Amino acid sequence: MMLTVENIDVFYGAIHAIKGISFQVDEGEIVALIGANGAGKSTTLKTVSGIMHPRNGKITFLGEDITRTDGYKLPAKGLAQVPEGRRIFLQMTVMENLEMGAYIHKKVPQSDFDNVFEHFPRLKERRSQIAGTLSGGEQQMLAMGRALMSHPKLLMLDEPSMGLAPILVEEIFKIIQEFHAAGTTILLVEQNAEMALQIADRAYVLESGAIALSGTGAELAASDEIKKAYLGG
Amino acid sequence: MTFLNYVLSGISLGSIYAIIALGYTMVYGIAKMLNFAHGDVIMVGAYICFFAVTRYSLPPLVGVLAAMAVCTVLGILVERFAYKPLRTAPSLAVLITAIGVSYFLQNGAQLLWTPNPKVFSSVVGTGRLALFGGQLTVSYVTITTIVSCIVIMIALTWFTGNTKMGKAMRACSEDKGAAQLMGINVNSTISVTFAIGSALAAIAGVLLCSAYPTLVPTTGSMPGIKAFTAAVFGGIGSIPGAFLGGLLLGVIEIFAKAYISTQLSDAVVFAVLIVVLLVKPAGLLGKQVSEKV
Repeated sequence: MMLTVENIDVFYGAIHAIKGISFQVDEGEIVALIGANGAGKSTTLKTVSGIMHPRNGKITFLGEDITRTDGYKLPAKGLAQVPEGRRIFLQMTVMENLEMGAYIHKKVPQSDFDNVFEHFPRLKERRSQIAGTLSGGEQQMLAMGRALMSHPKLLMLDEPSMGLAPILVEEIFKIIQEFHAAGTTILLVEQNAEMALQIADRAYVLESGAIALSGTGAELAASDEIKKAYLGG
Repeated sequence: MTFLNYVLSGISLGSIYAIIALGYTMVYGIAKMLNFAHGDVIMVGAYICFFAVTRYSLPPLVGVLAAMAVCTVLGILVERFAYKPLRTAPSLAVLITAIGVSYFLQNGAQLLWTPNPKVFSSVVGTGRLALFGGQLTVSYVTITTIVSCIVIMIALTWFTGNTKMGKAMRACSEDKGAAQLMGINVNSTISVTFAIGSALAAIAGVLLCSAYPTLVPTTGSMPGIKAFTAAVFGGIGSIPGAFLGGLLLGVIEIFAKAYISTQLSDAVVFAVLIVVLLVKPAGLLGKQVSEKV
């Protein structure tokens, strides 16, 4: 297993946000966490990436216990996150954002930038532009390109489709699959269950801080319960 | 020629404000806190240089370096023990702590070095350069101050624009959470910022006391407040803003002293600040980036 999350409990002050969640991500998989707003998807991701720490439970990444590891040490171990709301550095240029993505590497070969520009040609045109002047879709692409710069083994994406036009959502999902095809394992958090289940090998459905259902992407997409609750039919 | 003399003393005083303001603005930009103890670090720097040169007869340059070293360590320690535990506390708590640290340093200096004024001897001597056949004379202190300020400004601009650490500092100042996701150690970045700011404060202290040689434990507080004003004036968080704000503040202060009234000069300075903030609330070069959400 690449990532194993065992029975974690996460609190915001007195609020018990995550109630004993367990899940796994195996090397080479695309795993999706789906669920409604406030189900605890983002909190789960933040806990894996060390922004928050669980009160109980254990998180193992590539055989190493990272439950209490400081978040800033995780990128060097091969974990990268595209955070909710993109969180790119708006006052820095596109190039500088990408350089920050490669912060853990001493030397950054030009080929790393070229690789990002191959996935996102539009970023190449705008390489010296201040990131705050990019459109929403371009900002999402920059956030993804930035995460790619660290050569992650596991890439976690938090709501990459949020606030984007349907055509851009299609594009973003296509690129996630490209990343995957290039050998990156993906953990995807999405409200857009339909899109997420289409590309996911396996998925977990979160409901008020606990896992309500799990299965392969196809199984869940076919399940009546999921159809009713998340797929509008 | 008197007018030119005023301009020069204004720029010289303004350069000192600018160097202090750069420290204020960098710390604010990254730690999002107003370090009101920054002015007192200036005073500590001046005392260290004073003792190194006067008591231990070290060369002035060594005195300056010693002051920078001590202040750097002091800045890191203050951050580590006074501010870091309050990283998630409300900003008001941090502000009050900073005022507390300021009094702590002032009273500590009184205990260690007594409140009796020390006469600081200029690190570059008291010579003057005569220009235009002696019609305009410029002291070495003035020249050194202005040159130091320009060098520091260029170095800082280069550092934040071109080095990995400098870029990481800018990333932290924008979004600490995202910076952490990049693998940037936010705590050590904040430490480095305090270290740089405090080293600059030491330089400012030495230059200030070279121009105005009376050194007492409260020497740093008024220049500290003026420099804070300069940082806000130029747009807090902005490095060129601190530079511009400091220079303008110095020139306005000297002009107000020369042409209006010595007693009212500070009132004039702050009146100008109020007017500027009414017209441009973010300061002269305050960041107003259009941010798409």
